[in-house]
Amino acid sequence: MSDLDLVKRAKGGDQAAFRALYDANVDRVFRLCFRMVGEEGQARELTQDAFVRVWEVLDQFRGDAAFSTWLHSIAVSVVLNGLRKVDRHRKRERSLEDAGHLGSSPRGAEPLVADRIREAVDGLPEIYRTVFLMYDLEGFPHGEISRALGVPVGTSKARLHRAREMLREKLGEAMREYA
Amino acid sequence: MEERPDEGMEELLKGLREEYNPPPPTPREEMWSALQPRLEPRDGEVVSLDAAREAKAARRPAPYRRPLGWAAAAAAVLVVGVGIGRMTAPGAGPAIGPVAAASPALLRVAAVEHLVRTESLLTLVRADARSGRLEPAVGSWARSLLSETRLLLDAHAGADPVMMELLEDLELVLAQIVGVAHAGGGDQARVRSELSLALGGLDARDVLPRIQAVIPAGPGLAGT
Repeated sequence: MSDLDLVKRAKGGDQAAFRALYDANVDRVFRLCFRMVGEEGQARELTQDAFVRVWEVLDQFRGDAAFSTWLHSIAVSVVLNGLRKVDRHRKRERSLEDAGHLGSSPRGAEPLVADRIREAVDGLPEIYRTVFLMYDLEGFPHGEISRALGVPVGTSKARLHRAREMLREKLGEAMREYA
Repeated sequence: MEERPDEGMEELLKGLREEYNPPPPTPREEMWSALQPRLEPRDGEVVSLDAAREAKAARRPAPYRRPLGWAAAAAAVLVVGVGIGRMTAPGAGPAIGPVAAASPALLRVAAVEHLVRTESLLTLVRADARSGRLEPAVGSWARSLLSETRLLLDAHAGADPVMMELLEDLELVLAQIVGVAHAGGGDQARVRSELSLALGGLDARDVLPRIQAVIPAGPGLAGT
């Protein structure tokens, strides 16, 4: 059954059809949420909020774009709103487990360097960080990012370029150590 | 515009993909179990107030959803809305200005103003229920009030149990009205029947008398 058929049935209140749409898309949404917030409890909440929101506004889906693209735009909107509610710049209490994870980096980076890189990404302004995470880490195409953020494709590309530039400026030395 | 990263950046990206917030396996069953009770009935399907209240117990569980900033934002939205309403209402009094932070007193003012508007809607819907024809503007009005109700519920969390319970009852009734309006008003018998069910829950829980008990008498709310 196609996404459009499933959406049509879900619009009529068929939760089994909605579950099928959920199954087909939840991995990508959860991964994106987790990349954005870095904490499983919040990533779960945001993923659930995104799907509940999709259910609420399903009637607005007209099939102009792929259902997954439309869903991702809602997920991004939910995540960005969620992030505004929490102080993501708050210093993270890095657990021993995290420290151990960084220390055992397969790339052999020193924990200090990995910390600097993480802080640099965390410190990117939200509009740049979002595009950077979506494109460079999660592989979303610019067309989908632009729809999700409501900006032209050129703006998405420009933000990616600027995000990389900012990372380069902040991490000049660390990048050489890392490579 | 550069899209393909240079060698140094590519190395960094490889590392980041592995180490920057690497997602764990998706807990799809746990998330579905948690979100399913939050999927409200579609197409005007009406559920009993009690059943809906039970379903609501599974909603709003996340502690991070209610930081102070959220309360402040809710109050700001509501109070600015109230201010606009007062400025534009005939014979309006002085507007309430924007707020920098939400105090319990301020939230209560916003909640009371909201209750006045909701009571007006419910009075109109009661009249519509008798005729079996829902005014076209009722759907969007109810939807707007439903959003405000949810803002207030989040903002008030735990502060005033009486107000919270009243708002929760209103949320359910408003959601039912939105559902009926969304389903369309072609079938008068169906509209009459579904509105009757929604308003039956309203009466069973004495919602209107409880609203009237909260709203202070006097000219302060004129024009809202």
